[in-house]
Amino acid sequence: MTAPVLPSRYRVAGRHDETHDTVTLDLRPVDQPIPVCQPGQFTMLYAFGIGEVPVSVSGTGPDAELAQTVRAVGAVTRALCAAGPGRLLGVRGPYGTHWDVASAAGGDLLIVAGGIGLAPLRGALVTALRHRDRHRRIVVLIGARTPAELVFARELAQWRRAGAEVEVTVDRPTDGWTGHVGVVTQLLGRADLDPARTTALICGPEVMMRLTARDLLALGIPAHRIRISLERNMRCGVAECGHCQLGPLLLCRDGPVVSYEVAAPLLAIREL
Amino acid sequence: MTGPGTGVSQPSAGAGAELGGHAFLRGLPDSYLAVLAGTCRPTAVREGYRFFTEGDTASLFWLIRSGQVALDLDSPGRSLIVETLGKGDLLGLSWLVPPYEWQFGAVAVQDTTAFELDAAAVRAACDADPGLGYALLRRAMSAASSRLRAARIRMLDLYAAAGGPQDAP
Amino acid sequence: MNDAIRPGSTRLLAAAALDPLFTSLHGAGYTIIGPTVRDGAIVLDEVAAPSDLPFGWGVQLEPGGYRLRRRSDTAAFGHSAGPQSWKQFLHPPREKLWSARLADGTFEIGADQDEAPPRLAFFGVRPCDLRAIEIQDQVLGGGHGNSRYAARREGILIVAVNCTEPGETCFCASMGTGPQAGPGYDLALTELVTGDRHEFLVDVGTPAGASVLAGVPHTPASGTTLDGARTAVAGAAQRMGRSMPAAGLHELMAGSHDAARWNDVASRCLTCGNCTLACPTCFCTSVEDVTDLSGDHAERWQHWASCFDLDFSYLHGGPVRASEPSRYRQWLTHKLGTWHDQFGSSGCVGCGRCIVWCPVGIDITEEVAALQAEAQQRESGSTP
Repeated sequence: MTAPVLPSRYRVAGRHDETHDTVTLDLRPVDQPIPVCQPGQFTMLYAFGIGEVPVSVSGTGPDAELAQTVRAVGAVTRALCAAGPGRLLGVRGPYGTHWDVASAAGGDLLIVAGGIGLAPLRGALVTALRHRDRHRRIVVLIGARTPAELVFARELAQWRRAGAEVEVTVDRPTDGWTGHVGVVTQLLGRADLDPARTTALICGPEVMMRLTARDLLALGIPAHRIRISLERNMRCGVAECGHCQLGPLLLCRDGPVVSYEVAAPLLAIREL
Repeated sequence: MTGPGTGVSQPSAGAGAELGGHAFLRGLPDSYLAVLAGTCRPTAVREGYRFFTEGDTASLFWLIRSGQVALDLDSPGRSLIVETLGKGDLLGLSWLVPPYEWQFGAVAVQDTTAFELDAAAVRAACDADPGLGYALLRRAMSAASSRLRAARIRMLDLYAAAGGPQDAP
Repeated sequence: MNDAIRPGSTRLLAAAALDPLFTSLHGAGYTIIGPTVRDGAIVLDEVAAPSDLPFGWGVQLEPGGYRLRRRSDTAAFGHSAGPQSWKQFLHPPREKLWSARLADGTFEIGADQDEAPPRLAFFGVRPCDLRAIEIQDQVLGGGHGNSRYAARREGILIVAVNCTEPGETCFCASMGTGPQAGPGYDLALTELVTGDRHEFLVDVGTPAGASVLAGVPHTPASGTTLDGARTAVAGAAQRMGRSMPAAGLHELMAGSHDAARWNDVASRCLTCGNCTLACPTCFCTSVEDVTDLSGDHAERWQHWASCFDLDFSYLHGGPVRASEPSRYRQWLTHKLGTWHDQFGSSGCVGCGRCIVWCPVGIDITEEVAALQAEAQQRESGSTP
């Protein structure tokens, strides 16, 4: 076999505009589907003729459906965000490490999401809620820029009904917002966490993840039970192009989900 | 007991111990807790209750036990929410520094319970016992520092798009 | 010529036997790639006949300097650290990965690989470069599906050449990669030039090597000749002009993130990336998606990239490694340190090319010595 890794074709079956610049695409396989994706993993999404980007899998379905949430920040992502039902995209993957929700069984699961960081975490939450009795508490703390920029807003009620404690805070409220106002770390103290039983999954901008992890450490949650999702320039997704290095880690293979025990010393080095 | 503070406190025997359970006062020696208990009473208010308005004299302050309180600023045609506070938070910093006037307003956005303390009495107790004063100021400083950090992070607007990793040259 | 030639056998070839050796290789379907003189350097290219080899040519090497020189003998392999390495054949500088065609609301993606890769015989692989090929096998050969590398690699026949004369910038001995070729060759030559005698000791590594050698005139190697050859190679190990510390490079790199030396080297480094081009193990690539004017035909191309490029680490609006010190640090700590974590070995084979081909003559053995001195100072300074 001499073929390189070719994208599989998927069709956009549906799309949901989460915010003004973020879209969740519902993809169905046209060719042989890619292997089952675990929450936290990513695929390389290809827009014909424009390029490929790494995108977290925000959900999976029983018939190999994929939900992928994309934010329009450049040429490729703008093309992906503009893809309407029927459009074909290329998908390679899944790549990378996953959140390992199963390891938190028997204890409390804490999910802390900042902005679009909720997308890679959504799969972990849905998986945990599907087997609700495997965890004691499931606490979800979400930080968003404004109420209009909250992704998956339509699902919060469902998550609460399924047994998750969900708190949302915004950096800037708009008229009519009656929820929390402040950064997501300010919700930690009010959540009455039990550090001995809590596994925390954090995703968002790197600064937000660092500050949240630090606050969790201060609350007594050990670094090996705190996981974050790291991001670096990614080109191949298969540990051959060298771009996604963070010190000893190749994030497409040793990440993106990394324990804070491993990540903390690396994040402390400037320009690593 | 409900309603606005009357400035008259009725300490009960276990009040100091109860106070000591509040996150803001964690680790405060019992003797200091007893002093504070003498200026403090538990209170419970309904959603919509206004604790104070921008510009008022800061004669009371609160330690929130449950619920949610929004700090706000009034502006023609709208009310601007600065931040929300909840369980474990100190409500009110301006009572500590002259001119002892509220910089923001505060309104309960959920039914809220709190310990209500008499600001002047606490300041007098601190003047009389600098040890108590130092202990309280350190805690207040910690709360202020934490909120300053949060405010600075919010100003960085980290959730705004900044040209993603994907579409590199 | 009576004993069967098999892996482990050793024979002696006269220099004239290189012609039948080339014939044997051609007969087996190989295109021979080897060193040859061109454009003021010894480069790697197709060599049609032994006369294309650089008989009598040597090189004069120094940090930032490379000159061809005439040797006083007729050795064909008395040179090192040419500007290229064998990676250009196994891991091409530009390669089309696939193409796609848009039609009727759908598109087809195809790998466009019809022909088998050419059968290449690498003639004259130095032990350091042999090790470098193995290192790239580890990085690119396995796993997720770069079977393009594996396909090219599979057909390669390697005729290694042991070194008896280290170049001025070589340090393979201290990296454990030479001057004797390790396992992985099909045939290994040791060139013996004394007075009028010009011969090659041949060690057979594999059945493929044995079969190539089978029709080539050879004689048994006498004990003296054998000893002489082994001694010459061992002697080369003692005459290296440079060395790396025997152990602890991984730890040294891991502990050096805050070293002041990075600023020092970065004040000299142009971040030109020559080192990454010349280095036989550097493998980083980028991809480019292109379409034709109609927009109906798209291609994805892969090309060499360098961690010295600013856009290599582009993320969220800017490079993660913006400063020169951070980029030099990335290259060196990866090559000597985190390569171990990622791929299980050092990334450096001690070939010295980065030293020779750096326009400002940065010498990584000198940089490592300085980092080591700084680390020792840090350590002794912190002891109360």
